[in-house]
Parts: sequence; structure tokens; C-alpha cells
Amino acid sequence: GSIETREVHSAVAFVSARREWLDGKQNERVEVEAQKTESGLVPTHLALGSCHRGGATSGFTVSEFTPAGKLLVPSGSSSKGLHLHCCCYMEPFTILHKASSRKTDKISTGTGKSRTTRRIDLTASLPASTDISDVNAAESNERHYSNMRMEAFEAVWSSTESSIKDVLREANATIFSEIHEWVRDSFDTIVSFGVPNFHEATQPFPVVKDATSKQIFTGLVLTRNIEFVDDLVTFEDLKQHLKSQGCHVANLSSVDFSSKNGVGTCLRSLLGQFVTGSLDTADISMLATWYKEQQNNDNPVVIIIDDMERCCASILSEFIHMLSEWVLKVPAILIMGVATTVDAPRNVLPSNALHRLHARKFTFQSLPEKMNYVVETAFVKQSSEFTISHKTAVFMRNYFVHQNGSVTSFIRALKIACAQHFSTQPLCFILHWFLRDEDNEVPQSHIYGLSQERMLKLAFDLPSWKSTNNQITQLSGETLLDGLTQLKKLHKTWRMVVLCLYEAIKGENVQLLDLMCEALDPKGPFASQFDIGSRVLPSDDSTSQKFHSLEKNKGLINRAIRRVKELPANQLLVLMKAWEKHTVDVPEFHSEVKALVLSLLKLEENGESLNQNKVEMTNTRKQALRGHLNGADKNLRVANEKASNLVDLMVRRYMCPVECVALHEVLCFDCVDQLQAALIGDMRRRIQMDLQDFHAIIRCSCCSKRGSTILPSMPDSSIMYTLAQEHGDVVNVHDWYQSFKSVVLSTHMVSKRGKSRSKQHSPTPKKRKTTSELSQPSEASIQARFCKAIVELQVTGLVRMPNRRRPDYLQRLAFGS
Amino acid sequence: RKAKLFPPVPPLSFLHSFWSDGEQTPESRTFPSAAFCRPAMEINDGEEEEEFEFSRNYFLAKELGGSSKKSGRKISDIDPVDEQELRTAANNLEPKHEREVASLMESYKASYPEWGFMLRTGFGLLMYGFGSKKALIEDFASTSLTEYSVVVINGYVQSINLKQVMVAIAEVWWDQLKAKRRNSPSQAQQPFNSRSIDDLLAFMDGQEADDDKSFVCIIVNNIDGPGLREPESQHLLARIASCTHIRIIASIDHVNAPLLWDKKMVHTQFNWYWYHVPTFAPYVVEGVFFPLILAHSSTAQSAKTAAIVLQSLTPNAQSMPIESLYAASRERFLVSSQVTLNSHLTEFKDHELVRTRRNADGQDCVYIPLANDGLQKLLPEINP
Repeated sequence: GSIETREVHSAVAFVSARREWLDGKQNERVEVEAQKTESGLVPTHLALGSCHRGGATSGFTVSEFTPAGKLLVPSGSSSKGLHLHCCCYMEPFTILHKASSRKTDKISTGTGKSRTTRRIDLTASLPASTDISDVNAAESNERHYSNMRMEAFEAVWSSTESSIKDVLREANATIFSEIHEWVRDSFDTIVSFGVPNFHEATQPFPVVKDATSKQIFTGLVLTRNIEFVDDLVTFEDLKQHLKSQGCHVANLSSVDFSSKNGVGTCLRSLLGQFVTGSLDTADISMLATWYKEQQNNDNPVVIIIDDMERCCASILSEFIHMLSEWVLKVPAILIMGVATTVDAPRNVLPSNALHRLHARKFTFQSLPEKMNYVVETAFVKQSSEFTISHKTAVFMRNYFVHQNGSVTSFIRALKIACAQHFSTQPLCFILHWFLRDEDNEVPQSHIYGLSQERMLKLAFDLPSWKSTNNQITQLSGETLLDGLTQLKKLHKTWRMVVLCLYEAIKGENVQLLDLMCEALDPKGPFASQFDIGSRVLPSDDSTSQKFHSLEKNKGLINRAIRRVKELPANQLLVLMKAWEKHTVDVPEFHSEVKALVLSLLKLEENGESLNQNKVEMTNTRKQALRGHLNGADKNLRVANEKASNLVDLMVRRYMCPVECVALHEVLCFDCVDQLQAALIGDMRRRIQMDLQDFHAIIRCSCCSKRGSTILPSMPDSSIMYTLAQEHGDVVNVHDWYQSFKSVVLSTHMVSKRGKSRSKQHSPTPKKRKTTSELSQPSEASIQARFCKAIVELQVTGLVRMPNRRRPDYLQRLAFGS
Repeated sequence: RKAKLFPPVPPLSFLHSFWSDGEQTPESRTFPSAAFCRPAMEINDGEEEEEFEFSRNYFLAKELGGSSKKSGRKISDIDPVDEQELRTAANNLEPKHEREVASLMESYKASYPEWGFMLRTGFGLLMYGFGSKKALIEDFASTSLTEYSVVVINGYVQSINLKQVMVAIAEVWWDQLKAKRRNSPSQAQQPFNSRSIDDLLAFMDGQEADDDKSFVCIIVNNIDGPGLREPESQHLLARIASCTHIRIIASIDHVNAPLLWDKKMVHTQFNWYWYHVPTFAPYVVEGVFFPLILAHSSTAQSAKTAAIVLQSLTPNAQSMPIESLYAASRERFLVSSQVTLNSHLTEFKDHELVRTRRNADGQDCVYIPLANDGLQKLLPEINP
């Protein structure tokens, strides 16, 4: 027959054997000459194929190249329609398919230009579709709707993300401009040391002047972060800022300063960011040439190193030396991120490098400050209505505090939550509707593949709606519209109250996220009156009085209310002015706050006039003045009391946790478990759980007996894993094999001896060979299964192969779950 | 080492100080037992218990390993079958639960739209769970990602040239770009082969595409495989994954795989979204490069290889008793000089038939590193 042998990439040969060829040589080993490939065939190189029998695919065997470069293909099946494809799996990479245009892909799924035959065909078992055009239409609709949802997600998320980015950038604006100013000053100083003349500038070696001119201006930026991930963003922003001011800026990371590659790597990386075209050699003189060629030489070169402490000290100091020699030709200014203290360079760098640095300290925003900005933007001042449930907020807070500690990953977690909301909540598009502010129109559900009836049905079936509005029978678009408007309004006022509370305790190093968790709690002390089902605001104060006294000293909300009571006049005025801004949308509070501001202003005026008078005070007037002061004090007390009552009222009347509002599911994400699973993959535990509780996953009928019994029908790896639990950190291969064998053979024992078999698997081998059963697996197959199972445990990293010192033992690497 | 990727350890004390005390300057950083406000509800109580279970198991296992009498059984006691027979048997194993595994695979089809959604929102999908996920991921790609080009990288292969892979990806992306704007004249491209890695990355990250939503999807089977385990490879993969027009789907199988990445890679470059998708499909390709334990390490095996080596030696070397010294050899006229003996011994050393070590008196001694039973098997074979 025809045997094709050709090369595929560099790994192995491609062998395609035709039917005729195999038919002739049933049940014998076929040797196929395999061409030597570029890399040469190694004896251990294995080829693998899939065996197509009449269209159906089944896993096929592994064949091996012999040392002589022959490919051994066990012919195996004698079936007529045998068609054999080898290899492809062993290529380092393949192109699965190329992008197809939308029109063709529906019909030609799986029959693209590329080699698709080697894919294990999962669709084979599906019944063939009766009407392709119907399916296609449905498919294209589905695609369209998913695109629409995607758009809605992007609109909602990008509004949140961009405002977060803006607020972080704004928060850094001051420090950035401070840095820029310093860069300019430093540059002027460098220039004042002397500009190289034309002759000097064209020489391929540095200009030599006195020692002071060799100093490099270095900005040490204290990042005050736990995670350098956040700094990367900040430094990128800084780079953009300086660039926009005309500086030449390059970013280097600690990876560029690794001892493995020497100073060449960081130079190359530096040059790569300035000089275009390919670089064969990296030399600092090239940088000088480049700088000379710039149109105007009145801009400094700023080099940002994001985490100085992670750099290799010797490489960094070499780099500093080099820069300092050339500083007159290339006016370089360093900005180095320092995570710990300003002492860090002293600990890292040798003294001769330190002498070259002329350092100045800058400080970035601290992590809690940044976090407050992010939370404020994302949840309290947000432009999109998307929010998270109390449970999710607590989880994200714990994730931040206990596990991650970086703003970047907090934002990432929020994005995952938002994406999950859009992929699971069918009514999520209403968020987009909120965003577009089309309050007077019923959301256009049909764009997203939902008929209006379906949307109404979904909305009115939401648990929150059912529990609050079961008396409403007429369910129309208007009802939904009312519900949504109400939802939006309540959410807005909730944010207003949280913002006011936050303003009140801002000065006390309180985290907004903590406050938010408290305010979101639908079972919290302040939420009881908003219980689902009782939308009516409480008329009598007795109940609220009760919980108030109970919870007096607990929680940030109470702390805020108490603090308002004790604020001195000037702070109270600032606070009231802030509240005046926040309460604009709630007239009843707004007017009261306004009145308070006025009275406080009056107080202040009086106080000022008093202060002025103080100088001319005489003893005789002191008495009268004291009385006056007392009066002012009293007035302040009154104002404090009023403000405190006001915020108390606000909390009780308007701080309705979102989860207590009907239809909140539309905008509130509540699947904590899902979020956690996506965010924190628990690799080590889950793999072992899979092996242990495989039955819960594959749901077979044969292994349904639970408990400690190891059944031979279980997957071999599960049997092996379970058996290994009985051993210590090393497992004797022989003992393990014997227990495995006894498990594998135990079906035969059970059938023979009934239920007398004990559950225990003693590590000492029991010779079972005497029991001769017809279907008993052969010794070879048991050994093969044993070997395969060990390979699988190795792939998952649960055991390690024996070493020379202990050739008969396997090392266990994971210990149960 | 920690047992989990993000173990719920007691909160970092210095994070506490950060969190609770915003005013604190780094210079004066101390570690106060922060009066840190904890919300009433702690979600991970159960987890902490599980964590405790983990560490307890670890110490139990260590204790068991140390105290109990170790079994002195050898692998050879199993009496392994002939290697070829073993391989044949391994190739013809009957898969267990074939039907259930197939329906499990089938059940994941319901998640394809969600996976596609997450991929398009910019996350990298990281699939884990017991069983080979190659078929599953590739099926997902060929049914749900037909709009995008898909490149598969097989991490279980021993050596992978990532530069070559990048060139292929760049070419695919270039084709995709060209197809998108047929009307506009396509500028001549420098062949990707001769471009630098940074250039290629810039191309994949570039703004050349008209619509930002289009991308090339890379599937990395076993991103924790032997071909990609080097930190350099992982860094490069991370840089590729962070390009605007690249999305990545990867599978991991090794329990320690997450240790390959630092937080920058996880959170900003790969941007992993974890999916637990156990398939219980056999690790066929993934396990190809692992030796079968009963095929290679047994004494039968080493005796056999020893026999092969000995048989292919010159007749003089073959007939020489290995444990004899120079004098004995000379007596029997096997060698005439120390040099000849040394050349023979070098040969043996190269094939690990003999090794040398120094005894208490400082003399070099030659010995055979074969176990007794190995020798017993060997002797009748070379002296029939």
C-alpha cells in the first residue's frame, strides 16, 4: 500500500497509513521507516494518533520510535474501515483554524483549511440537525444577542473603569507635577555644568568634568504599597505625564536588571524605547548619538525603574556608573520606586554608586487612600448603577485585606463580578438602560433577544419583586418602569447617605469599604425598617430608639453620627458644606443643611469678631465675654445636635440597602461563590478533591457505593491516590502495586467469597494468583494500569519518581484534602 | 510552602498597619496590633478549618513516613513483565467510564457561551481539574471561536521555540487583518521571521486593527508542562498574553503550577479567570514523556542493558571478570599494561557498569553498581 512519510515541523515524522496497507498485515507489528527530522529522532520520541473506525473516533495507541529510527505501529484492530493518522500531537504548536468570515463559519464548522481530522470529535454523538438553516438562524440570532450584551457590558464597565482611572490619576496629579518640576530643575542644573561642544559631542566617549557634574539626579519614590502591581500602573501614568510635558521617558523593570544577563539587557531595553530599528549591539554611545540627533536638546531623559529593591545590585550600580559618566551628553534623570524606606538604596547599592546619586524623596498616595478613591468612585459616586450585594462586598473586602492587598486586583475582582453579572442575569441590559438615562421608556428588551412579555415575566418573577409586590396584579410595562425608577431613586439616596456618613468620619482613618459593607447589610441594625415587604417608612420612633440604644457603640455608622455631635465649629461647617453638595437631590434635607450652614456661618462671624475684640479685652469685660462665649458654645451644641439628628434621620429614612429594594437583582451582583471560584483557583485542593470525590463529578452507576470502600471500577488514578493515603510521605512501589492489584482483582474475590472481603488493604501482598477467573485481567495489563496511573499522578504533581537514593520509593507531594 | 494559591493565612500584619493607619509614614512603619474594624461576617471560616486539615495531614504523613517500619520491598519483587509486553498492554488498556466521561465533556458545552463571553471581555481562561483538557478546550475553540484564528501550543512537548510560535501568531494575525480590510492596500510586510521579539509583541499589541475587538486566540495545553516551565518562557507567554489582540486559554494540571507566576503576571498580564473543569479523560499525550515506572527502573531492565553493553564489547573486555584488579588481569594475560586496563575501565564507567570510590586507606576501588539479584540474572546471560 501507500505509506506517506513526511516532515511536520521539527518534532516528529508524519505517517499516514492507508487502509489497504493495514488490512494486509493484521495482528502483527508493522515497522515503518520514519524519516529522520531536523532534530533527529530520539528513542523516547513517541508518536500518537487517533483511530477512525467508520467515522467514530476512539482514543488510539501510542507507538514508539526504536533507536534505529523505526516507527512501531501495533496494527491492533482487524476492522475493515481502519484509517490511521499519526502524529500532530507532538508538534510544539499548530494552527487550529484561521479566522473565518461570519458567513461561512456556520456551515463549515470543523472543516476549515487546517487539519481538523486529528481533533477528537465531541459532536459525533449528537444527533444530526434536521434543518440546518433553522439552526443557523438561531445561531446567528444568538450571536447577535450575545454581541449586544457584550456591548452593554462594555458600556457599563468602561464607564466605571474610566472613572476609576481618572480619579486615580487625579489623585496623583499633585505629586506628578511636583516630580516634573524637580525634573526640570535638575535638568537645568545638568545643563549649567556645560553643554558639550560639537567636537565633544561627536566623540564616542564621555565628556569628563569635575566630580559634581557626574552626579545623577535621582528621585526616590516611596510607593507605600504592598504589591508592586499597583505601582506599575502609577509609573505608567507618570511616564505618560512626563512625556506629555516633553521629556524623553523610558521604563525599566527589575527584570531588566537581572544578574543573569548583565548590564547589556537593561541598556538594550533602554535603547529599544528610544531608538527605532533593530539593535545588534547595545552601547550607551548609541544613546548619546540618538540624543544628539534630537531636534531640540532641551528635554531631559527620564529613566523610571519601578522597583529598585528587586534589581540586582551589581548591575544597577554598573548602570548608574555608566550613566554618570555620560550624564553631560545624555542628561539622564533617574526615578526609582522604593517599596520600603528611603534607606533602601543604602542597603542595596555599594557606596561608590551611592556617591553618584543626588537623591530626593517623593511619596505616592498610600494604599488606603487609593482604596478609598476607588471605592468611592466605583460604588458611591459611580456613573453606572452596577453594584454588589453585602456578601460580595464582604468577600471582596476580605480578599483585599487578607489575600491580595492591591488596588489593581480589587478592580479586577470587580470586573469579574460585573462580567459574571452580565453573563448570568438575563435582565442585565437594564443597567445599560440606566446608563443611557432613558427613564421614561420601557427598556428595549428585544434588542437583547427577549420579548417584552418575557422581560416582564422575568422581572416580576424575581424574588425581591414577588415578596414586596404580590398584591399588584396588573403587570405591565409601566409597573416595571415604576419599579425601576423607584429602584434607581432608592439606590441614589443610599449613596447619598453613605457619602454624607463618610464625609463625617473621613478624618478618622476609616475605610470607606468598611463603611460600605456595614451600610449594605440587609440584616444590619439600620436596615430592619427597610425589610422587604414593608416599604412604608416607620412612623413611630420607638423601635428605632430600641435598636439605637442597643447598638449604640457599635459600627461605623453610629460612630459617624456620634462624631457629628462632637465636631468643633469650623469642621462642622466644612462638613455641612460638603453635605450641602451631596443632598441636592433630596430637598427636605437640602434645605435643613442649608439652614445649618447659615447658622454656622453666623456663629463663625461672631466668633471672629469676638477674637478681634479679644485683644482689646479688659478685665472688667471678661465676665461679660464669657457669658457671650457660653452662648456661642450653646449655639454650636445646638448646631451639632441638629446635624447629628439630621444624619440619623437620613440613615433611618434613606439608607435602604440595595438588597431590600424590589428588582434589585437587575443591578446587584450576588454570586459570591462564582466570583470566588473565578478569582481564586484552588488548584492543589481541587485536584485531590476530584480524585477523591470523582463520583460526584462523573456520576457513574458502578461506583455509587460511597464510603471507604475502594471499588475496582473506580478510575485507576483514584484508586492509587486513595491507597497512597495510607502511606507516609514516601510510598513503597512494591507495596503500592500489591494493594492496587488486590483492589483490581477484588471483584473476582467478591463474587467468590460474597461480602466477606474486608475493607482494609493490607500493604502485605496476598497471592491471588490461585484464584483463576476467566475475565481476570492479565498481570501485564494490571502492571500497565499501575504504570499509567502513576504517570497521571505525576502529571498532576501528586507524586515524584524515585530518585537514585531511594529507587523503590515514590515521593508524595500533596497530602490529602 | 503554602498549600494553596492564596491561603487564608492570618491577615498580613503589615497590611493591617497600612489599612488601619493611613497617616503612617513608611519611615516610622511599625506593626501595631491594629484596631482593625472587622465586619461581623467572615466568609472564610470554613476554609480555615480546611486549611488546618491540610497541614495536619501533612504532618501526619511525615510522621508516618518516619516512624513506621519502612517496607524494604523492591520494585523487582513485583516481577515486572517484559517491557515490550508492558507497553503493548499500556496501549491497549480499556478506558473506564468512557460513557460518563463523554457525557461530562458534553455537559461543559452549556458553558461555552460563558467562556466565550469571558474571553471576549479580556480575561484569560485558566482551566484546571483532573483529566486531560486538551480535547475539551480545542472543541470549545472550534465550535465557539470560529470568528477568531486559534493557535495551539502544546506545553507537554519537551522543547518549544516560543519565537517560532510568535512568528506564527503574528502571521495569522496579519492574515486576519488583511482579510478584514480587503480594500485598503496592504503595505509590504517585513517577513516576521527576521523581526525581534519586541517588534513582534508591538505588532500584536498595535493599534493597526480597525476594530479593537478582533483578536487571535492562543490555546496553551499544559502551560505548566516541561516545555514551558522555564521562567523566561512564562514571562514571554505573559507578555504575549497581555497584548491587545491576543487572548489566551490555558490548562494546568500540576498542583504547583500557580507558583510559576507572580502577581503581576496573574493579575495584569494573563488576567486569569479560573475554571474548574475536571474531565477524567486519560492523560494520554500529556503523559507521553513520562517513563513507565515498571519499564525503566527495574533491575531486570538494568541487567538487560548491561548484557547488551557487555555483549557488544571487544572479546577481551567481555571475558574479563569485572571485579578483578590489574594484577589478576595481568596474570591471566588479559591486559598487558595499566593503560589498557584503564581504557577498559573507562568504557565500563561510561556505561555505568563500574564505578570507583575511595576506601578508608585512600585506594581507588572499582565496584559494580548492580544489585545482587541483577548480577545473578546477568551472569548466566553472559556465560551461557
